[in-house]
Amino acid sequence: MQLAWGPEDEAFRADLIAFLDEHTPPEVLGGFDFSGDLGDDVELVPQWSRDWQATLFDHGWMIPGYPPELGGRNCTPVQTLIYLETLSSRRIPRSGHFPGYAIVAPSLLEFGNDEQRAMAPSAIRGDTIWCIGMSEPNAGSDLAGLQTRAELFDDHFVVNGQKVWTSYVTIAQKCFCYVRTDPTLPKHKGISLLIIDVDTPGIDIRPLRHINGQAGFAEVFFTDVIVPRENLVGELNGGWAITQGSLAHERAGLWVESVGRLEQTVQGLVELAQKLGRADDPIIRRKIAQFHELASSLRAMGYKGFSSFAQGSSAPEHSYMKMATSEAGKAAYELGMEIVGPLAAVTDDTFADSGRWSHGFFMSFANTIAGGSSEIQRNIIAQRILGLPRS
Amino acid sequence: MDFSLTDDQQLLRDTATKLVERECPPSLVREHMEDPSVYASLWEHLSDFVPLGAGPATDLCLFLEQTGYAAAPGPFLATALYTSLTGDDEHTGTVAFLDDPMNPFVLEADRVERIAMITPDASVATVDTASVEDRLRFVSTIDYSRRVFHLSAAELDLDFTPLDPDAFAAWTDRTNVSVAAETTGTARRIFDMSLEYAKERKQFDRPIGSFQAIQHKLADMSLALQRATAAVQYAAMTCDAAAGDRTIACHSAKAAAGEAARRILKDGAQIHGGIGYTWEHDLHLYLRRATADEDLLGTTSWHLDRIASLLFDVA
Repeated sequence: MQLAWGPEDEAFRADLIAFLDEHTPPEVLGGFDFSGDLGDDVELVPQWSRDWQATLFDHGWMIPGYPPELGGRNCTPVQTLIYLETLSSRRIPRSGHFPGYAIVAPSLLEFGNDEQRAMAPSAIRGDTIWCIGMSEPNAGSDLAGLQTRAELFDDHFVVNGQKVWTSYVTIAQKCFCYVRTDPTLPKHKGISLLIIDVDTPGIDIRPLRHINGQAGFAEVFFTDVIVPRENLVGELNGGWAITQGSLAHERAGLWVESVGRLEQTVQGLVELAQKLGRADDPIIRRKIAQFHELASSLRAMGYKGFSSFAQGSSAPEHSYMKMATSEAGKAAYELGMEIVGPLAAVTDDTFADSGRWSHGFFMSFANTIAGGSSEIQRNIIAQRILGLPRS
Repeated sequence: MDFSLTDDQQLLRDTATKLVERECPPSLVREHMEDPSVYASLWEHLSDFVPLGAGPATDLCLFLEQTGYAAAPGPFLATALYTSLTGDDEHTGTVAFLDDPMNPFVLEADRVERIAMITPDASVATVDTASVEDRLRFVSTIDYSRRVFHLSAAELDLDFTPLDPDAFAAWTDRTNVSVAAETTGTARRIFDMSLEYAKERKQFDRPIGSFQAIQHKLADMSLALQRATAAVQYAAMTCDAAAGDRTIACHSAKAAAGEAARRILKDGAQIHGGIGYTWEHDLHLYLRRATADEDLLGTTSWHLDRIASLLFDVA
């Protein structure tokens, strides 16, 4: 057990910092606000963000653990961690749209045929924007209950049904879409994965506004949508294994960023209490200290899990991170509102700090639901890690 | 940042695990309630590991997690604190904080040869326990696995030596993570017992561990345990590296361990139901230790207030 990284890893960090110092666009440095953007009609993925993702890719800094043709530099797992923590501490996002590089590309590389694997570089570089068709009105936590039907006719599928909470579909070219190809099989076994071009006739997209008023995700309706058979990823009726894989890709790298964001929120609480003259309030101080302890222990857990992972062992620690950081984030915003006091719910911007924390509080609701709700996470921990019997 | 254990650390942990499993079963902790002298058979083995007290904090904490797991009676923790303060690994010892309301008692004073007395301004005087025997009074607590004493230090004429402030700060941080390591071990014992019970105990014709209410409780308990375990190991590494965040990391480890222990002992008792409330079930041996540990070297709230000072009052 030791704190220090090796000299090669520190050299890697120095290279990264030199690159970031030279290339990071100014919009990134000024733009990130831990309490979320209050703007009403912000562009979902602005041009500077697209350019930045391409720059990262071209210099081998998009997914550094991948080879150069996939936007990386074949770095080690430790170096990947250094990469993620450096970006997190500088509040630099890699991309404005995570599904393509974080979920679609790794899944295509693992499960796709040659032609599909060839789509991975543009997904990682962001040249192609992807969305993921998973949730449906009747398939939320029970994802395997999805009902969007794809019937196979010789060389094509005909898709009918509805997806919901589909992020980025309004700007995406392609959808990684989970469909039911055999309703007679048990529900986990009749699911397939299709690549569907979003501009295919028969697809109707209706944006949904978030709780904060912003447009972000959408409902997607499929009516007799024709999808070529070669757009099937993996085996027919073999889609469930890929859903499991893609969620794993989503979670494995997220803890550094989510813990970093929690730490930044805690720092925001300290500054808020100082600014509003509450820095001597013993109750506020103790509560903030508790968040510091929570965030720092979660960071330690993340590193500890990473050490197991780097040695090829399982890392149960990481299964806790999504639930723990999202729940902690929500509670931290509550504390922010408590510190702001009677102005917490005011959105009239003539009052300093008003609305900012309640806005972040609302935003934080998404994190304990999306990507597997906290309750589902607890089920998974109880059954897969602790070995308790299924209920 | 590497949390993986070296081969030597793996060996140390395995050795400690087997040692306490063999030499400190629940029956010994139970006998210790009535007859404190039974600690001697365990101490014969634990005393071989006294030099860990002056070694790397990471090694010491791995070992302490196992003594905590077994709720081991005896002066191992006290001597570890004493040894790292004085560098004396020839004698058994303990430490006494004079005029310190957060540390009113002296651990295991009737089982050690030396007591290092520490004044609030960080001066130390070490005495033979025998020389202050008449000033020590046993204090009963809810935890029968430790023995604590009150020391009347009034008009005690000793030759105090001031400690180097940096060295004293390093030692203080190390004591916090040391206690946190033992507490985390005890919390892990209660967690393991509760998880096992949830898998075995049947109601409504099925294991109670199949019910979501119990599953979610255990998931939250295991998160608290994972957090405390990682916080302790991280803090121990900051001690060994003399890292800049050592002090806040050690306070955080102590607070995380205290919170984990409290959550796990409450929910663990709840999961055990009626049987866990009985004298004959072993659960209470560990509930007692975990409850009392929170007050050792500062309560959770006290450590949180130190964290707040470091966040707010240091530029």
